Amino acid sequence: MALNFIEGNEAVALGAMAAGCRFFAGYPITPATTVYNAMLKYLPPEGGVCLQGEDEIASIGYCLGASMAGHKVLTATSGPGISLYSEQISFAIGSEIPLVIVNVQRLGPSTGSATKGADGDIQFMRWGSSSGLPVIVLAPVDVADCYRLTVHAFNLAEQFRCPVFLASNKEIAMTRESVDLDAVELPVTVTRKTADRGKPFLPFATPGDDTAPDFLPIGDQTLVRQTSSTHGVNGYITVDPEEINAFQHRLEKKLTAHVDEFTFFDQDLDPQARTLVVAYGVTARAARVAVAASRAAGKPVSLLIPKTLWPVPERLIVDTAAPYDRVVVVEMNMGQYVREVQRLLPGKTVDFFGQMNGNLIKPEQIREVI
Amino acid sequence: MGKTFKKPEALSDAHTHYCPGCTHGVIHRLVAETIDELGIRGRTVGIAPVGCAVLAYNYFNCDFQEAAHGRAPAMATGIKRVRPDLMVFTYQGDGDLASIGMGEIIHAANRGEKFTTIFVNNAIYGMTGGQMAPTTMPDQRTSTSPFGRKVEEVGMPIKMAELLAALQTPAYISRQTVIKPKYITKAKKAIKQAFTYQLENKCFSLVEVVSTCPTNWGMTPVQAVEWTEKTLLAYYQPGDYKVPA
Ligand SMILES: Cc1ncc(C[n+]2csc(CCOP(=O)(O)OP(=O)(O)O)c2C)c(N)n1
Ligand code: SF4
Ligand SMILES: [Mg+2]
Repeated sequence: MALNFIEGNEAVALGAMAAGCRFFAGYPITPATTVYNAMLKYLPPEGGVCLQGEDEIASIGYCLGASMAGHKVLTATSGPGISLYSEQISFAIGSEIPLVIVNVQRLGPSTGSATKGADGDIQFMRWGSSSGLPVIVLAPVDVADCYRLTVHAFNLAEQFRCPVFLASNKEIAMTRESVDLDAVELPVTVTRKTADRGKPFLPFATPGDDTAPDFLPIGDQTLVRQTSSTHGVNGYITVDPEEINAFQHRLEKKLTAHVDEFTFFDQDLDPQARTLVVAYGVTARAARVAVAASRAAGKPVSLLIPKTLWPVPERLIVDTAAPYDRVVVVEMNMGQYVREVQRLLPGKTVDFFGQMNGNLIKPEQIREVI
Repeated sequence: MGKTFKKPEALSDAHTHYCPGCTHGVIHRLVAETIDELGIRGRTVGIAPVGCAVLAYNYFNCDFQEAAHGRAPAMATGIKRVRPDLMVFTYQGDGDLASIGMGEIIHAANRGEKFTTIFVNNAIYGMTGGQMAPTTMPDQRTSTSPFGRKVEEVGMPIKMAELLAALQTPAYISRQTVIKPKYITKAKKAIKQAFTYQLENKCFSLVEVVSTCPTNWGMTPVQAVEWTEKTLLAYYQPGDYKVPA
């Protein structure tokens, strides 16, 4: 056992290296900059490329190019950068380009508070692209999660060929913790499936209506053409309503139909409890303390910590919440993920506690609500 | 005996947050003196960037509107087009103007927008902790070029004054510095000239000011002045690059 004393952003970089990332591009922004610094430390010695873009639009553009050339790619930014990524995120969704985006959230809107955390982009990450088609969003709770979930993020990006967000937060990203990375269980590394080189290549042909197409890199032996315009399985623009419909639905279903396979979560359930607390990200740590204290004071409470936020792990939330009279959602915003929980639990009392003043939510505040 | 040297009206009483040896403060003063001397304080609007000068609104006694990172020329365009009677200036760093905001500044200059840009080139991203800028010198160490800027990989530093002077649209484009009194006098003249061209509704005007960032250069203020004079000024040569006919 060797303890590492590192911050979340460095753990993300180590996770990316473990996942086989070979390309990073970004533009300086607090509190995401140290992901860049760490990648600069780890990537070039392994033969990878680390590039600073002239802005965020270019940076994510480099990533898309490198990904289409067959590399696993990472970028990292914060709210103002995610705003600028939007165009390219839509492009990556439509062109099915694997990509991992670390969003080290800071208090917004806009430049907001560069050095204060928040979870204010939870709905934005899901909906901040044209078309409304889904992406994957994973939310780490601590440094170990930053490491482990980054590897998962790469695997999911490769498997489903889509943008995958790591919804970090300044408080996790820039706080050092002692963590034994060797003790963190990492998944087996996944790499996108290569199409059969012997056959004519149909870049968007899939065996079913809920999977990603097999991949061939740009610039290889086989001719590969890509477009973000609405295309048929051959990659050419189509105006056929049925083909368009099938394409749109597949982009949605390839993620929503499989969310149970990548529903990451923690839970601490008490059979005596009537109340379930739902919290994610750094707030989940305060919730853990609050739940333990509440129990010690004779008031049993249960806790669910979803780490897959999008697509919404509906089964997890509905099944876990079933025995409780009351659900309390706690998050570092004015009420974003609570909307999803309310939508899933129509008959139940779903209460919300949020805070967006630059401070972490304290366990005592959560105890007051429960 | 009366006061011979006083703070310009256009500067507020606030103490600035700039580091020791940083030239942002000197440049603020020159702009403020210009505003006073031209008697335009009541109708001047500054556009603050995202960078160390994001707090400029705190230091000037005139209206200030912040813009998103790199977008000050777009914001200035909107204001000046609907209120041509106002005196509008943007105040931008090199990351803000020459990197993320390159598109905005080139098009504003090319349209001949009648506002003034004060471009503070300190060859680095100051606010975010010393990353490489498009203006960073060859071999200059920064947090994203820890072994020095490699020209083979990222090209030569961009000379904004020369680049903008190449546009056909009439403009006033000058480069100055403020590291020593002899340079400050010239810089003041250029800034006043730039504002005067705007006052006469003549052309777009920009003064690039070669500046220091001792904190992120890892130098003392004195070393920073020496390095600026020896290295930066050899590459970023002061002078007027374009003058309207
Ligand atoms: C869209 C966006 N990307 C990144 C940032 C982070 N950011 C803030 S200031 C800055 C650079 C400032 O450097 P410069 O313009 O050279 O000004 P200086 O601080 O050196 O005066 C950056 C990248 C941001 N605020 N918005
Ligand atoms: S970081 Fe650099 S540019 Fe910013 S105030 Fe300090 S010396 Fe000036
Ligand atoms: Mg700068």
